[in-house]
Amino acid sequence: MMAEASVQTRKKPRKNSEFLRVMKQLSRNKTAVIGLIILLVEIVLAILAPYIAPYDYTQMDIMNMFAKPSAQHWFGCDDLGRDIFSRILIGSRYSLSCGILATLIGTVIGMAIGAVAGFFGGKTDNIVMRILDVIQAIPGMVMMIVMSAVLGPGFINTIIALAFGTIPGMARMLRAQMLKVRENEYIEASVSINCSKFRIIMDHLIPNCMSPMIVQATMGVAQTITTASGLSFIGLGVQPPAPEWGAMLSGSRQFIRQAPHLVIFPGLAIAVTVLALNMMGDGLRDALDPKLKN
Amino acid sequence: MGRYVLKRILWMIPIVLGVAILVFTLMTFCPGNPAEIILGSTATEEALAAKTEELGLNDPFLVRLGNYLVDVFIRHDLGASWATNVSIMTSIKERLPRTLTLTLVTLFLAFGLGIPLGIVAATHQNRWQDSLSMVFALIGVAIPNFWLGLMFVLFFSVRLGWLPSMGINDGLKSYILPAATAMMGAFATCARQTRSSMLEVIRSDYITTARSKGVPERDVIVKHALKNGLIPIITMFGSTFGHMLGGMMIIETVFAIPGMGTYIITAVNNRDYPVVQGGTIFLAITFSLCMLIVDLLYAAVDPRIKAQYEGQNRKKVKKEAAA
Repeated sequence: MMAEASVQTRKKPRKNSEFLRVMKQLSRNKTAVIGLIILLVEIVLAILAPYIAPYDYTQMDIMNMFAKPSAQHWFGCDDLGRDIFSRILIGSRYSLSCGILATLIGTVIGMAIGAVAGFFGGKTDNIVMRILDVIQAIPGMVMMIVMSAVLGPGFINTIIALAFGTIPGMARMLRAQMLKVRENEYIEASVSINCSKFRIIMDHLIPNCMSPMIVQATMGVAQTITTASGLSFIGLGVQPPAPEWGAMLSGSRQFIRQAPHLVIFPGLAIAVTVLALNMMGDGLRDALDPKLKN
Repeated sequence: MGRYVLKRILWMIPIVLGVAILVFTLMTFCPGNPAEIILGSTATEEALAAKTEELGLNDPFLVRLGNYLVDVFIRHDLGASWATNVSIMTSIKERLPRTLTLTLVTLFLAFGLGIPLGIVAATHQNRWQDSLSMVFALIGVAIPNFWLGLMFVLFFSVRLGWLPSMGINDGLKSYILPAATAMMGAFATCARQTRSSMLEVIRSDYITTARSKGVPERDVIVKHALKNGLIPIITMFGSTFGHMLGGMMIIETVFAIPGMGTYIITAVNNRDYPVVQGGTIFLAITFSLCMLIVDLLYAAVDPRIKAQYEGQNRKKVKKEAAA
């Protein structure tokens, strides 16, 4: 890291090799690769959803009410005769973007707070941590429900509520990492050559704290997707007729006796996505964990 | 140790106060005019004004906050529901036991199954038992529990007709499906955590010593490894308990159990804000109490924590003396 200040050319190969090393390690882990592939496929499907969906997801068809899965309708049709496969495809856009955006926003804000607390220490640290203590004294799901009561339901509001819930954990984690990394000699060195505080944090501390944050964020996306669909399920998140997976479940649960496929497929979609994210997160942790590095 | 306990208990006070202030402040941003929510949209202008005055909504924010805090912490009164006018404390007293029963049954299942599974996985590392239990754990984390609940209802209630699908009219029997549903996440986490902490312990020197003395493998695991391996699980137990109080909200909705969760969620949907506020503060206090007990237990079980704290103190004293 020191070299990067003086010899610009040496920076690139070193960074690349670290990235490549992690990728290499990851590619050797079969579960992680499977998770990654599932995720990539899902993301591509979500992006292309409006073009590849076999039917219009809002189009109702009385003739096909509660139609069982068949060659025409892969996952069957719902209570209004809408094609469930098309709805799940479009719904993946809501669920994935909700999970990714909320985690991203929460992580960035959380890291900023954690960095300030971890770097300055002392009183600043104390105040920040005590505020986090208070926020975390409210169980996560309860906090989400209060937030959605305050903000009202809807896609954007759900993202805000979920992001808010991600902040304390991320802040705590970065702070803990920083306290560890701060003791290193290269930090002392950068202080001694009079680097600005901002630069020490951004160039030296944060990059060296990133590994656990990346793992945590990957797992966080999975967690957020589940929570988001849970919120929609109880009617406080994304509202029907938007085909968010949780909202789909919430709308069709009353038909569980007569047409179970209405409930099975959206849930499977959530489970597969979360499973893929967890598999990848586990793999990333193994690849990034310095304890296993040899 | 005594000082640690005292400090930890005293620390509860600002936390609980902070939670009450935070929730109260957040709730003031709720949309809608409270007087109109209570009286309905047909109420006259005068009636609305009178109600607003009666609720004290014309007072400045800090006065309202102060009154609320006095009500909650000195009179132990969380106010009354706008929808039914029933005291919130009365409703909580009626509903809390149901949520607690559900949570306890769930925890019992999750840890009763998760710990053995984790131990088996750790003692058979990299063999099929290990892979199987970890696959199981991975799936357990991934499946959203409200959906799993619906699947259980589909299979055990609709297809087989073994267990009731909703309500609490069948005694403990009606808690089986909800608990089996809610335990999945905690069960999987518990198995994974037990496995990793057991693996760490099994690699340590004193286990090698025990083995080299010729202690039978069974005793090595049960008498030596478990004692240290289960310390992190104790912490997990408490925090899971706390998180479950919140997580039960959705499960209660799925199975129509009239507990704390359905109470708060219905209140949100009805814009019955005092209930949301009171219920949340109550749950947060319960949660903080759980965490307090966990921390104290943790310190009691693991002498290292105690030593660490005392060590820290000594350092502080030295520093002060040096200054």
